[in-house]
Amino acid sequence: MRAGRAASLAASAATLALCGCATQGPLLAPADPGALPPRAELVETPFFPQRDYQCGPAALATVLAAAGVTVPADDLVAEVYLPGRRGSLQAELIGAIRRRGLLPYVVPPSGQSLLEQVAAGRPVLVLQKTGAGPWPGWHYAVVVGYDTLEDRVVLRSGTEARLEVSAARFLATWDRAGRWALVVVVPGELPADPDFARYMQAAAGLEATGRSDAAERAYEAATRAWPTAALPQLGLANLAFARGDLAGAEQGFRAAIERAPGDAAARNNRATLLLALGCPLAARREIAMAAALADAGPHEAAVAATRRDIEAATGPDAAGCPPDPAPAHSLP
Amino acid sequence: MFKRMVVQLLCIALLNLGSPLVAQAGLIGTLQAVEADTRAQDLATVNATLARDQVREQFMALGVEPAEVESRLAALTDSELRMLAGQVAEAPAGADALAVIGIVFLVLLILEAVGVIDIFKKFP
Repeated sequence: MRAGRAASLAASAATLALCGCATQGPLLAPADPGALPPRAELVETPFFPQRDYQCGPAALATVLAAAGVTVPADDLVAEVYLPGRRGSLQAELIGAIRRRGLLPYVVPPSGQSLLEQVAAGRPVLVLQKTGAGPWPGWHYAVVVGYDTLEDRVVLRSGTEARLEVSAARFLATWDRAGRWALVVVVPGELPADPDFARYMQAAAGLEATGRSDAAERAYEAATRAWPTAALPQLGLANLAFARGDLAGAEQGFRAAIERAPGDAAARNNRATLLLALGCPLAARREIAMAAALADAGPHEAAVAATRRDIEAATGPDAAGCPPDPAPAHSLP
Repeated sequence: MFKRMVVQLLCIALLNLGSPLVAQAGLIGTLQAVEADTRAQDLATVNATLARDQVREQFMALGVEPAEVESRLAALTDSELRMLAGQVAEAPAGADALAVIGIVFLVLLILEAVGVIDIFKKFP
């Protein structure tokens, strides 16, 4: 009797241990528990129920409204919907955000980064793949809440104003879609835990598509967040040059070169500026430096073209040409 | 004659409205500098103008309103256009197309496997 009881106890202990192995911990639990509030839900986020296949415009309208720009989802159909695909492309959602002078920040592909955005008050537009294997089922939804204790995620999705799904189910569909997630940031603000390269890509995308004012505010925010980085200074200088503010451009290129003496792009652009300022000799010195730095790099062709233009210019420097910045100590 | 010229000029001007800022000669754009820092340069070998033309054609073929095509293209960067060129028809397009066909197929397969129906004659 006693032996039997002991055996059954041991058996239940073994079963319990096995269960312990089989059950996973909460999927949403952050690596550093202090980093995130255990639950958050952006209940104020509006809801735009989708029509047939038009989850792209609906999800886009949701994240735009959360950033303070209310556009009816129907108006966005003409901007992002592809009738022949019965869907919307990721790049076009990004484009539609740019068209409103807002910054489309693509979130790093981790659950933690996604939840951080929600905790910081920004709903996250996500791509999901609901179909398995070769079956499609691409779908856009918006994450507006999470609960790390219950391991659940809250979505605005399709025709569901508040869809609560298990973290396992959500993460599986998000994973199949390449973990693509996007937040809309008002230029001048920063996303939660910003990644420098992703942020600068988004800001420079605004500049490249003609949204100069928005790009300028985004670069200025970047100079405050990453004061030692050269790229935001280069961006501000390029914008100044484009609007004819040559003195501002010189200041900006110089600031970029001070931060990164080996930056061929900043030196190339400063050389072009020096030529515009009537300083061909100073321009020659700067472009020679750029050419040495750009050798076999991505800017080699652009720098060579600038050098040809500068070497075609003759004559002495005008009065008041700016002094040379410190040379590149990291020259190869 | 004069009217015609004006109309033609206006057409060209309108077409240009859609294109983003023309890059200033001698300047390396901020986006180029960012992308040089962050990604492989193999994309840059595709001509951006060519890519834009390809995506324009594909948008038209997929039923985008002609009046909207240029402004939609103008919102995309050169590298996005290069990535899209040639694959607008395959790139993921969020649609909420529930895999209905997939579900029907699965149900049929299960029914077949448990012997309720017998329609897949070619399979043992």
